[in-house]
Amino acid sequence: MADEQDKEAPARPSRRRFLKGVGIAGAGAALAGRVPDAAQRDGKGAQGAGAQTPAAGTVELALTINGQRRTVTCEPRTTLLNALRNNLEPPLTGPKLVCDMGTCGACTVLLDDKPVYSCLVLAVDAVGRKVTTVEGLGTPERMNAVQAAFVEQDALMCGFCTPGFVTTISAYLKQNPRPTLEEVREACKGNFCRCGTYPRVFAAALAAAQNATRATDD
Amino acid sequence: MKAFEWVSPTSVNDAVKLLRAGATTRDPDEAPRPIAGGQDLLTTMKDYITRPARVVNLKAIRGMDKIEGDARRGLKIGALVTLTQLAEHPTVRRDFPALAEAAHSVATPQIRNLGTVGGNLCQRPRCWYYRLEEAVCLKKGGSECFAATGENKYNAILGGGPSYIVHPSDLAPALVALGASVVVAGAQGARTIPLEKFFTLPSEGSVRRENVLANEDIITEITVPASAFAARSTYLKFKERDSLDFALAAVAAAVELGADKTVKQARVVLGGVAPVPWRVPEAEAALAGKRLDQAALDEAARLALAGAKPLAKNAYKIPLTQALVRRALGKVGGLNS
Amino acid sequence: MQQQTPKKKKIRVPRVVNGQEMMVEIEVDDTGGPAWGPNDAHRLLNHRLPRVDGPAKVSGAARYTHDVRLPGMLYGRVLRAPHAHARVTKIDLAAARKLPGVKAAVEGLKDVRYAGTPVAAVAATTPELAADALRAVVVEYEVLPHVVRAEDAMKPDAPKVFNEGNVKLAGTRGDKERAADAFKTCDAVVEAEYRTPLIHHACLETHGHVVDYRGGDAATVYASTQWTFSIPEDAAPELGLQQSAVTAVVEHMGGGFGSKFGIGVEGQMACQLAKQAQAPVHLMLTRHDEFLLAGNRSGSWQKLKGGATKDGKLVVVEARQYRLGGLGDGSQAGQPYVYSADAIYREISSVHTHEDSSRAMRAPGHPQASFAMESLMDELAYKLNLDPLEFRKKNIKDPAWHRQLERGAKEIGWARRNGVPGGGAGPLKRGLGCAVGVWGGGGSPQCKVDVTLARDGAVTVAVGTQDLGTGTRTYTRAVVAEELGLQVKDVREEIGNSKLGASNPSGGSTTAASLAPAVKHAAYNARTMLAEKVAPLLGVKPEEVVFADGRVTGGGKSLAWAQACAALPPAGLVAHGEWQSQLAGNGVHGAAFAEVEVDVETGHVRPIKLVHVQDVGLPLNRLAVESQINGGMIQSLGMALWEGRVMDAQLGLQLNPGFGDYKLPGALEMPELVPVIDDGDPREVVIGVGEPSLIPTVGALANAVFNASGVRVRELPITPDKILMGLWKGGQAA
Repeated sequence: MADEQDKEAPARPSRRRFLKGVGIAGAGAALAGRVPDAAQRDGKGAQGAGAQTPAAGTVELALTINGQRRTVTCEPRTTLLNALRNNLEPPLTGPKLVCDMGTCGACTVLLDDKPVYSCLVLAVDAVGRKVTTVEGLGTPERMNAVQAAFVEQDALMCGFCTPGFVTTISAYLKQNPRPTLEEVREACKGNFCRCGTYPRVFAAALAAAQNATRATDD
Repeated sequence: MKAFEWVSPTSVNDAVKLLRAGATTRDPDEAPRPIAGGQDLLTTMKDYITRPARVVNLKAIRGMDKIEGDARRGLKIGALVTLTQLAEHPTVRRDFPALAEAAHSVATPQIRNLGTVGGNLCQRPRCWYYRLEEAVCLKKGGSECFAATGENKYNAILGGGPSYIVHPSDLAPALVALGASVVVAGAQGARTIPLEKFFTLPSEGSVRRENVLANEDIITEITVPASAFAARSTYLKFKERDSLDFALAAVAAAVELGADKTVKQARVVLGGVAPVPWRVPEAEAALAGKRLDQAALDEAARLALAGAKPLAKNAYKIPLTQALVRRALGKVGGLNS
Repeated sequence: MQQQTPKKKKIRVPRVVNGQEMMVEIEVDDTGGPAWGPNDAHRLLNHRLPRVDGPAKVSGAARYTHDVRLPGMLYGRVLRAPHAHARVTKIDLAAARKLPGVKAAVEGLKDVRYAGTPVAAVAATTPELAADALRAVVVEYEVLPHVVRAEDAMKPDAPKVFNEGNVKLAGTRGDKERAADAFKTCDAVVEAEYRTPLIHHACLETHGHVVDYRGGDAATVYASTQWTFSIPEDAAPELGLQQSAVTAVVEHMGGGFGSKFGIGVEGQMACQLAKQAQAPVHLMLTRHDEFLLAGNRSGSWQKLKGGATKDGKLVVVEARQYRLGGLGDGSQAGQPYVYSADAIYREISSVHTHEDSSRAMRAPGHPQASFAMESLMDELAYKLNLDPLEFRKKNIKDPAWHRQLERGAKEIGWARRNGVPGGGAGPLKRGLGCAVGVWGGGGSPQCKVDVTLARDGAVTVAVGTQDLGTGTRTYTRAVVAEELGLQVKDVREEIGNSKLGASNPSGGSTTAASLAPAVKHAAYNARTMLAEKVAPLLGVKPEEVVFADGRVTGGGKSLAWAQACAALPPAGLVAHGEWQSQLAGNGVHGAAFAEVEVDVETGHVRPIKLVHVQDVGLPLNRLAVESQINGGMIQSLGMALWEGRVMDAQLGLQLNPGFGDYKLPGALEMPELVPVIDDGDPREVVIGVGEPSLIPTVGALANAVFNASGVRVRELPITPDKILMGLWKGGQAA
């Protein structure tokens, strides 16, 4: 689909840029330096004058998604969520577009292992960072502990909020492997469900923690 | 969201230049905008409340993502420090608890993971009318504040008029209470502005803005001085919905207690009730020299809201905020109330 | 299969028309046929079955309509009118069409009667470009006077929503004079007004479709719908195709709650765009669109007057009930709802405003009526100094409610309740409340199910129905597996496709009671047919063949399942099933209890515990039924404490059309939830359970808030401002 879009005339006369992460940041840096401070002109490899030169129209981005290098053609205004869902081939539609305003959590992905709302991240800002979607956490055949616990505990109904919850909780359990119920609630207060799965989401999170702990203990 | 050009400078100077050079219109909502965490900016852009033709990324600028200092020297907080970083920082939690509590009270973990300290101070109001593109209100260049006579449950009871927004920042009341300043880079270089003078009432500054920043100005750092009251500080936020909400009312309070448990000095700043963080010197003065007993709390709460002028649907904010003032002071004073 | 004598019998079944449920009497064959047997004798059913689509949903692999991606697919958007009442005088799509990436643009409605009316739609190669195109559409409006508040709409000089007037009397019941007389015999009379705002379904997957039409004589429409079979009928005329040439696909759908029947104006426009572009069009509403034009639960304004004697007899109820459904009629159950009174008089009217039409929403009309009536009952009980629970039991006949109230009272610890409302020391006050509800939930004969047994032992059950998240896929498999002595994993289901066997709309909690009997019938027939093939191999009569533990057994011999199926002809066998009236039931009760903690200094309400006791006949899957009950309680909780559309009267616009401002309950709002399946229900039939679990919790919560704080909030949602102002005014809130 990325190719398709290129054939369509972009919004503005296109000055295509190939933005790629140059990996300047040290491991501890939180924000600064994670975005490219240099752009390569038309993908030819020559270092440009830095990203002082504006990127407009369509841009080509090299993103690291679920451990793979993926190329995305989109606009500077394209959110990471839309880029994943619409501009990748094949697309990643696990993260859901629900509110598009950072108020529901269905689009949650991990950016450098931390949960964020991908509807409130520009795709250009994900360059040079590690993006993990629910598809990167497990597959129907090989679910991670949280996914398996969700199925066991019936922590889902329509399932539209589920990828967001799974992603948030999977990240949280890495940070806090033995949470209390209150800590689980606090961790997923940025994810909303309409069917009413919350009590079982909490139960699944606690069960996944227990299962993982048991596995480690054994 | 309107299409824009995205540019990612690596120095503050370049960022300021890019913001200045991109300004081609007089409409402040169309001027170039800096983006850090983007957690508020992108929401206003998606609803076409702001429509910048250029977005200047600040995250490639190095050195603005650190928290330095301690209780003795005070804090220097880079503008790109995330709310998560601030909320989890051991020194901040121990020695500047109001600040850590305020950071933790913001929105959700996802937003705190990207939202920055600078961005939190510069976020735009949440007034229903302001956020609705179709309602061209005073703050969007229209001629009327619809909230004044409309659905104003969440609007200002203090300092309102001609616009009745409330400032949405949680950090702002806490930082004002702790006597913080912001370091701002602009066309004329850097300057330091006490946070108390940073926010502007709709009746003083431009009704289209909430602070003194010119469009090309960038907050680079927040400084919090060492003080005798920072360690005894707290931020209490009341939300209608605990999971995710802005404050219906909030109170940042800090006290320095003498050896006899009397108040040497106090800071009381209200959030969620005025277009700016609302410091109440009358309440602070009344506390001086007193023990924080129930009578003192009641009196401070009364004075804190004495000037309130509620609109048709927000008088409840008076008893609510009074309760928060009592509780915040009770907490920093070691009372249970 | 053996044909029964076609005896006939008359039964009453629910029918859903545009989401509105009504009961109709029909005649069906009295076939005898299969029976479920005792509720406690099942091997899979009435057990806890993890849902079969779980692994796909938790890993992002499940494909919803929103996720459909096709080569050359365009993204559609609708343009919403910014006026509550206007006429489109001119519309110019030329500038939009010229923009990069724009492939189609169509005009929409000209008569704008609510802000958000779609007046145009566009399709472009990316959603970003489609958004640009929307802003390039030039529309001129003649703006007309509007009215968006019921009080205003009832004034004689109000702008007219309909020529015939804004207030329409739907019906009256009872005797006005008799009711007036009856009040004279009462020891206590309460007269009060109760209001509930418009509530949004807030399905996380917005309404929408992907219309795969690239010219030619056939199309596929992917739809987020509660009624797969309504889609071809609705889409075909827009595409200029035969209905049979349009296939609807609904693999997974992200919530409906009553709002997703038929293709809607957004679906019509998606078809028009696809036809114009000759390319697939993905048109899913935005969240803002969804709030404005995808339906709502009608609001209510209920003026009630009730009287009772000091021994706890409800004597009389008088009700003036207004349904606030915008352009629609709205819905509201008649008062005194489930209670009996000697004298009743009620009037039910619709009050129209310039807002989008209400639609069915999970138990349409019931939570509104239950909240008001249960509040009135509570007010009467307190006025008479009676235990609210005992007062209810005295005025309700059905033993099922008595059983459920007693069970719920035990779960919540009713004896602990605050003796004096608002009493006790300190600012944090606990309180308890209760309420009851009623629902139909029966089935009807529309489903046509095929069970296919392949020669290699593969078992497939196929029917066109949709799974809204209720667990349809799972029980469909389980019913077949149970009948054939197999495990859930041994059966594969195919659903969500209009080329498969017919099924009913998922409205009125009728899916399970309509579908499960037909599935059972098909499985029963498959078993019978296989038994006939296998019996000779075992040397027994067909009726002596036993299906259990994945084996087919008889006469001391036993075949593995696959061995048994090898006896089938090369094409295997296909068994058909249709609805069996004896397998479905109708009519459920339900009782809810709530415990809350109210901070009387801030007005904050913290839900502590919710209990809901629900009869369901045969619970097909206990895990899923409990999840449904949890869901009902939580949606009721949202309605009680946070949710509601806010309109600006002057602008005619909704002020909270997003999830930041329309506040759904989240993780921190959750109390302890206790879903109780009422196993005291002896019926061995399937009854739907989606809706009843939503009804009574809202009233139970309002009553718990009163018990805790002493403040009676009569207008939902019960927010801190109302409690604080109520405390200020000494217990009387809005």
